[in-house]
Amino acid sequence: MKIRSISSSAAPIAARASMDKAAESGHRGGAKGGVAGLMDKPTASLSSVRDLIEAVQGGSQAALKRLYEIESRRLFGIALRILRRPELAAEAVQDAFVQVWQRAASFSPERGDAAAWLTAIVRYRALDMIRKSGREILSDDPTLGDVAEAPDIVERLDLKLAQGALRRCLGELDDNQRRCIVLAFVEGLTHAEIAERLPAPLGSVKSWVRRGLIALRSCLEP
Amino acid sequence: MIPDDPQELNALAGEYVLGVLDGDAAREIEAALDKNDALRRAVIFWEERLHGLSPLAPPASPPPGVWDNIAARIASKKATALSPLWNSLVLWRSSTALAAAAAAALALYIAVMPPSGPRFVAVLRAPQQDQPAWVATAGGQGLLLHAVAGEAAPRDRAFELWAIAPGAPSPKSLGVIPANGRLELGTLPAAIRAGSTLAISIEPKGGSPTGQPTGPVVFTGALVAAR
Repeated sequence: MKIRSISSSAAPIAARASMDKAAESGHRGGAKGGVAGLMDKPTASLSSVRDLIEAVQGGSQAALKRLYEIESRRLFGIALRILRRPELAAEAVQDAFVQVWQRAASFSPERGDAAAWLTAIVRYRALDMIRKSGREILSDDPTLGDVAEAPDIVERLDLKLAQGALRRCLGELDDNQRRCIVLAFVEGLTHAEIAERLPAPLGSVKSWVRRGLIALRSCLEP
Repeated sequence: MIPDDPQELNALAGEYVLGVLDGDAAREIEAALDKNDALRRAVIFWEERLHGLSPLAPPASPPPGVWDNIAARIASKKATALSPLWNSLVLWRSSTALAAAAAAALALYIAVMPPSGPRFVAVLRAPQQDQPAWVATAGGQGLLLHAVAGEAAPRDRAFELWAIAPGAPSPKSLGVIPANGRLELGTLPAAIRAGSTLAISIEPKGGSPTGQPTGPVVFTGALVAAR
């Protein structure tokens, strides 16, 4: 099985905040020596995703189970939105957690957001699966009505997204750029699939995505 | 070509994280991630920022059994889960610890074999475990494998038996092991010879769809000639 990037190097600024938070919670044992200590504590008392991933790094299967309890609904929802079929989404989540178990060691504390790491693992897995199995077969299910949902998602951005830089910066994009980026992320659509969905010419979609990303980046990190 | 220009690099990384790139372009990025620090930082940037969009996918409960499958997959193979079959075999073959524990189980088996019977025996165990889990006997009359430790496949999965002959390019399936833990073959497969290794992987019910192991290899054992 191919595992996509999920690289683990620095994102120092964002890391600071969540590490401090973890330290306050009192569970974090401090660097490597603490990981073994973590394993001895009742796993239920480990609350943050980061703490749990560190315990998984130390080989705690109980921590992985707790991570599953805390994160599986969110991750299954992400996979389901891309794959559309519950049995495929379940497989993606399963594979993702096995990867987390194997690759916990590659999660570095410099990474800002532990939940983002999990999101990336599940999304890459779901994207690999959808590219292999082909979406045409999957979108036949009339109960999913995915065409009708497309504008809906984009309109609900303000309701669903936490207030912050991402929401503000998305708001600054033009409508087409915003719609393309959101559809690609949430539904896992390719350029061509977005073009079909909107509908719009493929070349326009490619340029909306690219210009949207460039604008988003300069807004998020001026 | 991974661009050097920061703006181009960032846009490309964003497209990769979104998942809009075609397979070739995505693979090129994956191949470059290890060496290209700027690219890796750009990918992490997008993974972390775009994660903010994930509340747009409504959470939903996974079907029952998902955790059980995860637990089975990691427990069956703590150290080597999902690693390629060959690696786990190399690991196993290089271990000298296997001999003693296997001997006891083999001795019992050889003792009860019919005199005209099997020429080969194998004890299969989980990596880094001493406990024999399966015993296979093979000879002119075919092959018999059965569970000695009551191993059960995870829900909705099945065990599949493979033989890897010395020098063979890939494992050969000997069949899906029935739920009662007993697999009998009426003829001796060509892949069974001195120095062959047997392996059991976890596969979808009905067996691997590809003809090669797709799930983790959970038990292995070398075939030895029995006198």
